[in-house]
Amino acid sequence: MYLPSRKAKRGRLHEKMNGLMSFSDYKKKRNVVSYWVFIVLLIMFSLLAAAPIVWLLVSSFKSVQEINSVNYRFFPNSLDIRPFIELWQNEGLTGIFINTFVVVIFSVISAVIFNSILAYVIAIIKPAGYKVIDKMILLAYMIPSAIAIYPLSIAVTNVFGRGSYLPLFLILGSNAYYYMLFKNYFEKFPKSLIEASRIDGLNNLKVFFKVVLPLARPIIGVVAIFAMTASYSDFLLPYIILGMQDQSTWTLMVAVYSISNRVGASGSSIQLNNVLQLLTLSIIPQIIIFIIFQKQIMNQGVNSGMKE
Amino acid sequence: MYLKRKAKSNEIKAKFKKNFFGWLLILPSLALFVFFVWYPITYNVVLSFFNNANFENFVWFKNYADVFGEPAFQSALRNTFIYIFWSLIIGFLIPLVIGFLLSEIVHARGVFRVLVYLPCMISGIAVVFLFKSMFGPADYDVINVILIRWFGMKEGADWLGDPKYVIPVIVVAMTWRGAGGTALIYLSNFQQIDNSIYEASRLDGVSPSGRFFKLTIPMMKTTILMLLILQIISVFQVFYEPMVMTKGGTNDSISLMLLAYQYAFTKKDARGVLQIPKSAATSVILSIIILGITILYFGLMRFFERREDK
Repeated sequence: MYLPSRKAKRGRLHEKMNGLMSFSDYKKKRNVVSYWVFIVLLIMFSLLAAAPIVWLLVSSFKSVQEINSVNYRFFPNSLDIRPFIELWQNEGLTGIFINTFVVVIFSVISAVIFNSILAYVIAIIKPAGYKVIDKMILLAYMIPSAIAIYPLSIAVTNVFGRGSYLPLFLILGSNAYYYMLFKNYFEKFPKSLIEASRIDGLNNLKVFFKVVLPLARPIIGVVAIFAMTASYSDFLLPYIILGMQDQSTWTLMVAVYSISNRVGASGSSIQLNNVLQLLTLSIIPQIIIFIIFQKQIMNQGVNSGMKE
Repeated sequence: MYLKRKAKSNEIKAKFKKNFFGWLLILPSLALFVFFVWYPITYNVVLSFFNNANFENFVWFKNYADVFGEPAFQSALRNTFIYIFWSLIIGFLIPLVIGFLLSEIVHARGVFRVLVYLPCMISGIAVVFLFKSMFGPADYDVINVILIRWFGMKEGADWLGDPKYVIPVIVVAMTWRGAGGTALIYLSNFQQIDNSIYEASRLDGVSPSGRFFKLTIPMMKTTILMLLILQIISVFQVFYEPMVMTKGGTNDSISLMLLAYQYAFTKKDARGVLQIPKSAATSVILSIIILGITILYFGLMRFFERREDK
């Protein structure tokens, strides 16, 4: 009898050329069994990775009574989205989401422009003393920035005042990791290309905008995506400089932290189910971004070696 | 003579132009680096030698001595090693295994990769609150429900209140978020292994498991070392997790980074003053540890490279 599906599966294993085990190993039954053990293990890991997210999405539809019920049920009684809308209105989430998107957009611009110019000058123009700058940035890369959060917050509030978004996106313009991504990319440029455009009479700034940047599109995409997730997720600096009192200036992560911490506080109407709703709302944009830029995000996380 | 001089002056001019424009172009970027990175670090280092935040008296290493004498600091230091221990037990092998499995399978590769990487997309703060809700203390919180219904546990545990469990639970949350990204780095390194090496040993009759231990693992040595070091460095920076999960951090789970934050923002001394110089001293100690590990890593890499050259 003809069994198309089974044949297709066998075919795939018996065509496998790469990796530890190839088609000739799969002539042995034992190895085929171990292959399916691999698949089962991966299914297990995927379930472990997805389960908390699924649990969150499902549980955020529960009422407080359901969450605190001794009889645990996985699925909620109803899929009512009214509690979400109520939370959205009560906490002014429209404004908070707008704030967040403003910060994200300008962060991306700042991260791309400042780091790429710096990397261009250090990697291609090489003015006197460029090695010192490079070494100092490398040192900054090795020391995590959150370590100096107190002096940073003092300096920021002295210069920009409280509640300003400017420092939130400017800080991504001084990111050692993005700088290194750009620099490594620019260093691989053929020298003749830069020379030729100089001979054609372009000055340094024009070389940068007309030759280097258009060629650097892939790495700009990478840094943009990194900066997007980093600024969306940033918590500590916004938390310190935006001030706790004025909720209308918050970014989303500050809101997640501050609103969630109100559970059980006197006079607060926030309850456990609201926390889950807020978390759900906060991860939806990230999941959408991931779906859109899936390939770029996963490939680049790999090619560049390390993240953040 | 004249021409020579002119050529020389042109050269100087070109050099001057290059340096001048180079520095002019990077001035804004450098200003940002100075303001956001180098100045705060320097400020902290200098402040750690003074008695208060106004830089009144230079007290040499008194802040360091004080900090080492504090129970909170001793707990933080001890906890760091407990964090590292658990993160090696829980978080080290899982990404390596996932990366290897992803490199070996031919079915539904894309789906597995997306699912495994998905947690990396969620922000740190959200992950912490998510795990805080899952690991709640009541018998009806989901992790306790699973353990009671499926694994026959008698009663639920107070995961975040119990000093025995709080650090492992935090490490589970960190691993859940970080494993996918690390696994993809392993995956790309597994894929870079030259096929002809496997082919040759296959023809020599080496079994798959023999190939794995004699070829794959030795070839992955430097990648494993790099990711191990990165993992340890990230463990030193644990911060949000104890801060959120235990309401500001008890001594059972406090980390050095959180302690540095508390000294500067929440923890007051007997006179009701924030202990900012102590925060600076703690930060400097932490930076030195992290730099030390990084230098050790570069040293080890060089050692490996030299040995391979021979």
